[in-house]
Amino acid sequence: MSSEPPVRTVRLFFREAIARALAEEMRLDASIIVLGQDVGAFGGSYKEFVGLFEEFGASRVRDTPVAEAVMVGIGVGVAAAGMRALVNITYMDFLMLGLDPLVNYAAKARFKTAGQITVPVVVKTTAGARGQGVAHSQCIEAWLMGVPGLSVVVPSTPTDAYGLMKSALRAEGPVLYVDHKRLFPTAGPVPIAETLVPIGQAAIRRAGAHVTVVSYSFMVRVALDAAAQLEKSGVSCEVIDLRSLAPIDIATVAASVSRTGALVTLEEGQLICGVGAEIAFQIRELCGPVRVARVGALPAPVSSNPVLEAAVVPDTNRLIGAVRRLLSV
Amino acid sequence: MIYSLVVPSDMGDVEEVRVLEWHGEAGDAFAAGDLIVELETHKALVEVRAGQPGMLRRILCPVGGWMAVGQPLATLSDRPDEPLPDGTRAQTQLLVEFRIS
Amino acid sequence: MILIRAFEAALRVRPDHGFQLLSSGQEAVSVGVCAVLTEADQLLCSGRSIGPALARGLDPGAVMAELTGRTGGLNRGKAGRGHMAHPAAGFFGAHAVVGGNLAIAAGVALAFQAAKRPGAVVCLFGDGACGAGVLHETLNIAAIWQLPLVLVCDNNGISVSTPRDLVLAPRHLADLAAPFAMPAATIDGMDVLAVRDAMAAYIARARAGAGPAFLECLSERFSSHSTATTETRSQQAMATIRARCPIERLSAHLIAEGLLDTAQRATLETEVAGEVARALAFADSTPYPDAAEAMSDVV
Repeated sequence: MSSEPPVRTVRLFFREAIARALAEEMRLDASIIVLGQDVGAFGGSYKEFVGLFEEFGASRVRDTPVAEAVMVGIGVGVAAAGMRALVNITYMDFLMLGLDPLVNYAAKARFKTAGQITVPVVVKTTAGARGQGVAHSQCIEAWLMGVPGLSVVVPSTPTDAYGLMKSALRAEGPVLYVDHKRLFPTAGPVPIAETLVPIGQAAIRRAGAHVTVVSYSFMVRVALDAAAQLEKSGVSCEVIDLRSLAPIDIATVAASVSRTGALVTLEEGQLICGVGAEIAFQIRELCGPVRVARVGALPAPVSSNPVLEAAVVPDTNRLIGAVRRLLSV
Repeated sequence: MIYSLVVPSDMGDVEEVRVLEWHGEAGDAFAAGDLIVELETHKALVEVRAGQPGMLRRILCPVGGWMAVGQPLATLSDRPDEPLPDGTRAQTQLLVEFRIS
Repeated sequence: MILIRAFEAALRVRPDHGFQLLSSGQEAVSVGVCAVLTEADQLLCSGRSIGPALARGLDPGAVMAELTGRTGGLNRGKAGRGHMAHPAAGFFGAHAVVGGNLAIAAGVALAFQAAKRPGAVVCLFGDGACGAGVLHETLNIAAIWQLPLVLVCDNNGISVSTPRDLVLAPRHLADLAAPFAMPAATIDGMDVLAVRDAMAAYIARARAGAGPAFLECLSERFSSHSTATTETRSQQAMATIRARCPIERLSAHLIAEGLLDTAQRATLETEVAGEVARALAFADSTPYPDAAEAMSDVV
């Protein structure tokens, strides 16, 4: 155990952690610009850009029309030309409209030019279901984690929202930064000292012995709630927060599964070709056949109807059920 | 009677708030409609006004402090001389009006 | 223009020519555009990139090597025709996605504007990109932000097999820029001097901070869409088309003006033939990349 003094922290809302990371990086690097709808004087749809417009002005914090293809394309072009850009797409559902410049250009630029062009762009977007209907609820990060040349990060806490945003804004290539609607009401302690969270490093949120529960983004909170409940009946869950989907820190997961012998993955996105499918098979390759279960959304669109949304999106009870069935307890 | 001023709970998806500013201190009297405290949520500012007259007796959460929805922020009473109970929670909640901006 | 024509003629007869989109017939557009560009400017283009790359002054050997997949190529053979780039030489690059370079070009222009750089950005694209939503989006943003961007539509009247009139509503493609209050014109893309003169005005404006412009150049595609696509136009139509050669047109003009004689023309052809031969020899002299390069520069 370290004998260093405890890290001094300040409690921040999730949105404040993002704004703080951006402000710090924009002070350090005058080439960073922010593009998106309502990011200027309005401060962002989740108020996650509050203060930036006042400090850095309209030339660096730019409101754009609703035009994701050109928004992402411009962010990519600006970055390719030697600056840095953060492009904000309010709903992950609309990321699809900007996928061409992100996937066909940004993710391939370094490779196709043999290193003459690099694209340090961050595309930030908010995923998740919260009563807003079939085209404003999706979690499609699994679609992007397999794009060579593209990093994908998924913070679940204000500290990681802050630390991963700083890392993303210093990365050499394109980074997709995916946060979640249901994370914005949350708050947490964030180090007062400037702190980066490395891309590609998972975090063990709760130590446990009987099963490894792997998740990311808002679902980590569901996993921790379930683990607390399961503990009361003697089931000990180790909860791992991936924090990065590309690259994935499979080594941390494998080390855990080697101890527990059981793996449950939890995601809000779809199971087919999902994050859990990828982890489960990589673990099989690394650890041999272990008991595995995956929990994810039901294969249906997510309605704004509260009854129907609740039926589709995973919750604590579904995870508890999956753990119990896997462990036969 | 002793009252608890609690963080309003019908504010949508708000889970916790940060106290932004107290508009009075222990010993101050508030009339119905007076602004008592300003709170910050993850997306808005909330003005909490007295829904009944009362005297502020004890602030439980200072400026910059955090409190979950439904939890007590301060203790008030009808009269200045009523003895305060131990602990932070009074049985009766102070009537308040709140405005989100 | 002669270099582009001869280069492509030599390329297409090689057995290893790969999947190429040829610029033959459209040389006047690339050459006229590049005639006004300096080191300070950047050029982006579509997948029809051989004309633009050579017009921009890139080394023909490096271009030939890139097209044939050799490590002596601009990008070690990894980009090929669809994506080759040499930003240090003012050729920000080709992009094979139709319309895919438009927003990128606007971003490069924004970077120029933010850094107060003296140059401007030019993006070449075809009529095939003019139905794409991202063109409208790019025109809008370029106008609102007054970006130093000149959009040049090399309209050869056909997109693979589809005549432009069948699928694009505007009478002139330059009309697409009309709602955005930027200068726009439709000119004869077979007249290299007309292209140069129109570009000179637009790029001067852009460099001076007066905002974007849209130039439509009407050109002719002398070959099929690609070396792997059959020609859909009739032989008679092709004969008429090929008779409108931009090289012969300029040559006739220069001869009429007393600026060129047949001996000088012949000398030019010989010099170009030598350049092309050297380019081929250079390309063939450099190896294919090692398979391990499939994994280099990915992240």
